[in-house]
Amino acid sequence: MTLDPFTTAGLVGLSGALLGIGLFGIVTRRNFILLLVAIEIAINAAVLNFVYFAAFASNPSSGLNGQSAAIVVIGLAATEIAVGLAIVLALNRIRGSINVTEATALKL
Amino acid sequence: MNGITTALEFLPEILVLAGALLVLLLDVVGVRRLEAFGGVIVAAFGAALVAILADLSVAPFAGWSTLPAGSLDVGPVGGSLYAFTSFGLVFQGIFLSAALLVAVASLSRTSNEKGASVFYALLGIAALGMLLVAVSADLIFLLLSLEVTAISSYLLVGYTRRESRGLEAAMKFYIIGALSAALSFYGASLLYGAYGTTSLAVIGHSYPSGGLGPLAIVGYAFLFAGIGFEVTIVPFHAWAVDVYDGAPTDVSAFLAGGTKKVGLFAFFAVFLVPLLLIGGGAATASGSFRDSLQILIAVFAILTMTIGNVLALMQDNMKRMLAYSSISQAGYMLLGVAVATSAALTGATLQIFAHVLLKGGAFLVVAAAAGLGVGPMIADWKGFGHRRPVLGASFALMLLGLAGIPLTIGFVSKFILFAATVQAEGLFLWLAIAGLLNSALSVFYYARVLRTMYAESPEGALTPTEEVRGLAFDGLGLGRAVAIGAAVVAIVGFGVDPQPLVQVMQAAVQHFVTLGI
Amino acid sequence: MPLLGDSQVSLADWAFLALGAVAVVTAAASLLVRELVHTILWIATFFVALAALYFLLEAPFLGVLQLGVYAGAVTILLLFGVMVTRKRIFSREAATGLRPAPIAAAGLAAVVVGAVAVEVGGVAGLPSSPQPYETTSLSAALFGTYGPWLWLLGLVMMAALAGAIYLVREGRE
Repeated sequence: MTLDPFTTAGLVGLSGALLGIGLFGIVTRRNFILLLVAIEIAINAAVLNFVYFAAFASNPSSGLNGQSAAIVVIGLAATEIAVGLAIVLALNRIRGSINVTEATALKL
Repeated sequence: MNGITTALEFLPEILVLAGALLVLLLDVVGVRRLEAFGGVIVAAFGAALVAILADLSVAPFAGWSTLPAGSLDVGPVGGSLYAFTSFGLVFQGIFLSAALLVAVASLSRTSNEKGASVFYALLGIAALGMLLVAVSADLIFLLLSLEVTAISSYLLVGYTRRESRGLEAAMKFYIIGALSAALSFYGASLLYGAYGTTSLAVIGHSYPSGGLGPLAIVGYAFLFAGIGFEVTIVPFHAWAVDVYDGAPTDVSAFLAGGTKKVGLFAFFAVFLVPLLLIGGGAATASGSFRDSLQILIAVFAILTMTIGNVLALMQDNMKRMLAYSSISQAGYMLLGVAVATSAALTGATLQIFAHVLLKGGAFLVVAAAAGLGVGPMIADWKGFGHRRPVLGASFALMLLGLAGIPLTIGFVSKFILFAATVQAEGLFLWLAIAGLLNSALSVFYYARVLRTMYAESPEGALTPTEEVRGLAFDGLGLGRAVAIGAAVVAIVGFGVDPQPLVQVMQAAVQHFVTLGI
Repeated sequence: MPLLGDSQVSLADWAFLALGAVAVVTAAASLLVRELVHTILWIATFFVALAALYFLLEAPFLGVLQLGVYAGAVTILLLFGVMVTRKRIFSREAATGLRPAPIAAAGLAAVVVGAVAVEVGGVAGLPSSPQPYETTSLSAALFGTYGPWLWLLGLVMMAALAGAIYLVREGRE
């Protein structure tokens, strides 16, 4: 793969910052909707990596490999959000609270 | 012709998928009986297990194999997304045994329970994801199969939607699972950036020539964390106890016996290929990298064993104690990865199978006891051995097996594992000593349960909390009785005569070491 | 080696830097604002910024997908989640709001990441020109070589569908 090391560092800086923001949100936010948002940010960091590396791949088949992976990860992340919302709605119905600390005895 | 060949290759997976779809279909046309759903899934799992044993040429099913002749003797083709290896098939067998135990035991749950169809359909899809993990030869294929299992298990944990405990556990499990998925996919994207492909075989073979760049090292670190959450490696273990405790106990048995082992297989597939291949035809530079990686994994193994054991010692709640002991068992399995010789891998594989029977069985006994009116604390088990001699003896056998007492499968697996670790010499001698000390430590908390069950006399009478289906077996239920009985027979049977099992696993590990994933 | 202030920095490099900055700022803002409805607005902007980055990286299909799936569907789903649980959310402390410690930590992390990036060499920019792919060849790869990924995605969605419908359906006892 012929990636320019300088620009790769910049890209990993960008996607790393996004992943960091997502992880920060997952660790510190207690509202379930915010947790879902944080999870989306973290997964989007991975998608960005795939798209970027695919754009500068050394040959077409390698690039198509990355773009296909990006498409599949996008679909997966959307499905995860739907499952998360289903859990939160069911919990909201019986407990009336969607804050993680109120809902669980132990912290993460 | 090509389509039919593929269909025959994937016969076990197709059988399980058909079972899950049939359950959903039966629900739609108005069937409401738990036995119907359970029967379909048990039949599907059983047929798939036979197909897998046939592919492995295990007597008496040898010759029924649906794989093209000789396909197990070649390694994965570079760039192919999936590959059938005897190592993967052995793991498929292990996963299906766990799923089958839980499916059979769940047959004796409360009659006409709401959501029985969803429970069995999700169990089927989760098992399907596990089967697919074991054939993957591609990083994205592997992570997606893990997600199939993960998403079904979040929903399985929360499927008792009227109880907030289960839903809370599901929520916690979901958050941790999503975090682990995000870390894993980020790591995979970095590995793709480093090697320009997501094929595990191609990535593994690029090491000796290409070496490891910074991108690849960071990618592997993220994958380690992501998969570490699934395997409950310390420091990624804390969630497991809450989830195992809050989930319906049948589901806890499935999580401890089943889904966690999937993470271990992923660990093998992602990390052992570089470990083994670098050691294979290596320049000295990559050889020293192999050494430091082994030491790193060994440190995690010791930490996981020790912290799991120490915390298990301090628990008063039965399910939490079993959950912590499950974390420490993951440490023993990592030990095999750290040593990375074929003998150690055989030991680790056996340990995984033993843990399915022992821990899965123990959780099933806890589920049965809860149905009989035994409370959640260890103290509630006072005199259980006198009250229910057969069930109590089964539980005692499982705990003794977990502690590694001879004549159980737990002894065989630990013996092979530790012997291989000692053989590896050098620093690994210390690893073996740490493992043995931990085994000794674990005897304390198992013995404590045994003392409560046998030395103390029962107080008051038990009032069963569950109505049981069909033949009652003194309030136990036919499904649970069969599942626990099968686990006991396998624990003792393979403990007394382990040779056939060990031979199959040795052959599979040998294939894995020479051909790769 | 495109550096800030370098005369060789092209328009695309500037666009990449600007969009990257927008993505980081909107992502952080979505987790720090006090009202959940504002969170949804910020995260929608974040998704659009990423879609623009994908167009810049010559991946128009990914860009359209990002707009459709994330800026469209996921945003609506999240908004729906906020609306359903709304009463409770506004009556309690919803988002934790801006507290100094996490912001300081995030700022410090950003400075460290930036410093590392500059230390290793340069800032984000595009090397030469990104490789465009025909959507036809992408679909050939996606449905051909990588078809099995789509089976797996289908299985994930099947499990999600069966379980999620069951969880949120009002039980008729």
